[in-house]
Amino acid sequence: MIANDAVLLAPIIVSILLAAAILAIDFALPGRKVPALAVTIGGLTLLGAVILLTGNGTAFETQGLDGPVHAYVVDPLTTFLQVLFVVIVALTVVFAPDYLEERGLPVAEFAAVLVFAMTGAMVIASSADLLVLFLGLELMVLPGYMLAGYHKTDGYSTEGAIKYFLLGSFSSAIFLFGLAFIWGLTGTTNIAEVYAKLNEIANGAAALSPGLGMGLAFLMTGVAFKIAAVPFHYWTPDAYQGSPTPVTGYLSVGPKIGAFALIIRLFGDTLGPLAADWNIVIMVLAALTMTLGNLVALTQDNVKRMLGYSSIAHTGYMLVGFAAYGQGQQLGLEGLLFYAAAYSFMNLGAFAVIAAVQKRRGVTSNLSTFAGLIRREPVLGIMMTLFLLSLTGIPPTAGFFGKFYVILAAVNAGGWLTVLAVLTMLNAAVAAFYYLRLVVYMWMREPQTEMPALRHGRLVWAGLAVTTVLTIALGLVPGVLLDIVQGAAAAATKLGG
Amino acid sequence: MTTPGLVTLVTFLPLLGAVLIAFLPSGRPQLVRYAALGVALAAWVVSLVMLVGFVASDYSIQFAESAPWIPMFGIKYAVGVDGLSLALVVLTTTLTWISILASFGPIQNRVKEYMISFLILEVGMIGVFVARDLFLFYIFWELVLVPMYLIIGIWGGKNRIYATIKFVLYTLVGSLLMLVAILATAFTYQHAQGSWADAFDVAVLTKAAAGGMFNGTFGFLAFGAFFLAFAIKVPMFPFHTWLPDAHVEAPTAGSVILAGVLLKLGGYGFIRFALPLFPEAAHTWAPLIIVLSLIGIIYGAIVALVQPDLKKLVAYSSVSHMGFVTLGIFVFQEQGLQGAMLQMINHGLITGALFLLVGIIYERMHDRTIAKMGGLGSRMPVYSAAFGFFIFASVGLPGLSGFVGEFLTLLGTFVVSPAAGAVATFVMIFAAGYLLWMFQRLAFGELSEFLSGLGSHITDMKPIEALTLVPLGALVVIFGLFPGLVLNLVAGSVDATLRAVGVAAGG
Repeated sequence: MIANDAVLLAPIIVSILLAAAILAIDFALPGRKVPALAVTIGGLTLLGAVILLTGNGTAFETQGLDGPVHAYVVDPLTTFLQVLFVVIVALTVVFAPDYLEERGLPVAEFAAVLVFAMTGAMVIASSADLLVLFLGLELMVLPGYMLAGYHKTDGYSTEGAIKYFLLGSFSSAIFLFGLAFIWGLTGTTNIAEVYAKLNEIANGAAALSPGLGMGLAFLMTGVAFKIAAVPFHYWTPDAYQGSPTPVTGYLSVGPKIGAFALIIRLFGDTLGPLAADWNIVIMVLAALTMTLGNLVALTQDNVKRMLGYSSIAHTGYMLVGFAAYGQGQQLGLEGLLFYAAAYSFMNLGAFAVIAAVQKRRGVTSNLSTFAGLIRREPVLGIMMTLFLLSLTGIPPTAGFFGKFYVILAAVNAGGWLTVLAVLTMLNAAVAAFYYLRLVVYMWMREPQTEMPALRHGRLVWAGLAVTTVLTIALGLVPGVLLDIVQGAAAAATKLGG
Repeated sequence: MTTPGLVTLVTFLPLLGAVLIAFLPSGRPQLVRYAALGVALAAWVVSLVMLVGFVASDYSIQFAESAPWIPMFGIKYAVGVDGLSLALVVLTTTLTWISILASFGPIQNRVKEYMISFLILEVGMIGVFVARDLFLFYIFWELVLVPMYLIIGIWGGKNRIYATIKFVLYTLVGSLLMLVAILATAFTYQHAQGSWADAFDVAVLTKAAAGGMFNGTFGFLAFGAFFLAFAIKVPMFPFHTWLPDAHVEAPTAGSVILAGVLLKLGGYGFIRFALPLFPEAAHTWAPLIIVLSLIGIIYGAIVALVQPDLKKLVAYSSVSHMGFVTLGIFVFQEQGLQGAMLQMINHGLITGALFLLVGIIYERMHDRTIAKMGGLGSRMPVYSAAFGFFIFASVGLPGLSGFVGEFLTLLGTFVVSPAAGAVATFVMIFAAGYLLWMFQRLAFGELSEFLSGLGSHITDMKPIEALTLVPLGALVVIFGLFPGLVLNLVAGSVDATLRAVGVAAGG
């Protein structure tokens, strides 16, 4: 049924066409940012509508030309993740031009590369086959390397990009190696068929071969690199600090949530039967990741680097939700999805403020830049405070409810996960210290140098308004999103307790 | 679902005021000050209307409101007051307008932000006292942190940033663990019921607790988490170390609210949440808590005795006095509990006034060293008299309110444990010692060189300063002579708490 397949693939087709359209318009009107931005934002809006129209609540799989292929799936989980990616990219595109223009970096190419990356993440979210999954992963991360090195003349940007590229490619290779093991020992790359084979093993009908165990270990390692889980996080701080600030905001959110989509599709839908085997690793990773991320963030004097480590810590919190899911708690997956959305908005908002403060060339992202911000630019200061409070997890913000949800799931799962929940909370208290340190600088220190208030574009203000409203609204009235994430989580494979 | 009523009004009126003030021009501080005072007075009037409409003989929750909030988890916006809640709400609204009035002179910098912080702080404090849903309670509990953090950190003394971060981190560690316990409690209920309905409702959970749902190891651990959060807030020995720093660095009005209301959040939390939800665990933990309370009472007094700094002395006296509150709560006995509740109100009034007095002298001398203040009585007679009055109230002079609370607490303690009672009584002599000795060094004797050097800068109290103290002084006398006013009001709360921990009232 090729017509049906085209409908299911419509979001991805539209997405790629959009990227091409942006390049075309840039070719026709070189260097003009307004038409490029208009096409990008209009296209993303259209794409959002297409995604919502395609995903009408039930699960579909592609049928293929001759016989069933089952390569793509569209279910509520796909729809939720794809919409989230579109929103992330839209916000990034809105925040970036002010910063890029000041540094003479082209806007249109930036938007096009981002849309390509987004397409990759969307493919991950809708993959029903391990090869498609890998394809999506590579399509998502390759533009990421380009973005990290987008500021060509800046040494730090190049350094970060090279580190990111080398370790990223390395981890992709490891990941692919793991997939090869899975294919070799199950004879299929189809997610549902792998699941069925593994189910036999889990039921005791077949034995878990050492090769499969190896495959599992490789996959875990590759994924841990992608989400920057400790001890595979070393590329993160350099890549984050070196990248142009709007890119950092995107890198800390887009590829991370994309990698979590991968985790859900891979570990939940594919390797679900072996949950008992991999979940212990997830739990250890979660504990290590949040603890180390927070402890190192404590000592940072550069705000971008600090938020880089803090994003590692947030990975840990999200892994707690996934670990609860691994124990059979549907709530855990719901919490993870909610947290992903909340984290996207507050983290993008925080980076947008940093980008706005750094608008003028040569302004560093050191703590001292933020001294007295509340006097210089009160609105930015108040928004940043809100995002930081949300990242800390102070109610009534989105970050609080996200943490609440994840902890809820962990406590419900009981056993070691309760210990993990307590550890998460202790970590949140540690994290409060460095987030509040920035608040101290903004509110309680006098500015060290005289800097005039900068003028910020209307797009930046609009984007900040959206993230601000969402950060508060998701905390005050989380009910709307709760329904959506419940529906999305219900579409994922249920794991046995 | 009920229509919003007085409780919602009193809780969110300050928030509305804060939003309005945000739109006032910051170039006109005087306008901002009067607007903030007006909002605080309006909230005060609403709380007094509630007080008039409250039926003390009706032991149920009054002015109750309820609306679904996050139905998926049974989380509701449920508020209402019983006697203890209402008393503390009125204490909060009273101290807030007094604090705002007392800030008119000392706060000259960023007046608008200050007033907004103060009003939001009021929302959080009132919210904690009226919340009937654990989730809602937690939201308000955390909401208190942020404005207080800013108040100490922006308008505080030299070491303010250290103090404010210490304050926030201490409180946060406690409250985050409490959040885990809150969730675990709701879960236990949800598992037993099979649905999320009412899983965060305090009244429903209390009923379930009475049926033994939260007994055993779970209750023991969950109580521990609640205990940590509340013990840090009270603060109990050995979790008190944030308090002296926070008090010394906070601006005067911040200290007043900190001592007057924030510390009460801990005591209130024990009475409203920790005891009713985990009665069995409360009994298990009680001996430890009583011992810690006694240590706190003694330790606070001894450390206060040697403080050269006036504000630190008052801060440590808080540790000692709040020890009586936890002591009174955990003897599980009628008089003890009455004493604890009375002591919470009294400590709010008296220590609030003492901090105001410290602030008044600091405004003039920019120094708080007791040794430098010798002979103040000859220069500031009215001030010294007022100071003397509140010192005597704090010592527990019969006829003033401090006496009744401590007396009832001791009475209750003696019934349950004569040894603990004896220790606590003995310490009261200490309290008299450090407070009176401080007062003697301060008010009497030769005029110190420091004071004579300051010359005519030392003027007696201004009318506006007196105005902040008069209502507190009046209440101290009234509650001292007629403690029944408060005791009647909280009778329902005492009864409910004793029932919850399995002790028959009136025994």
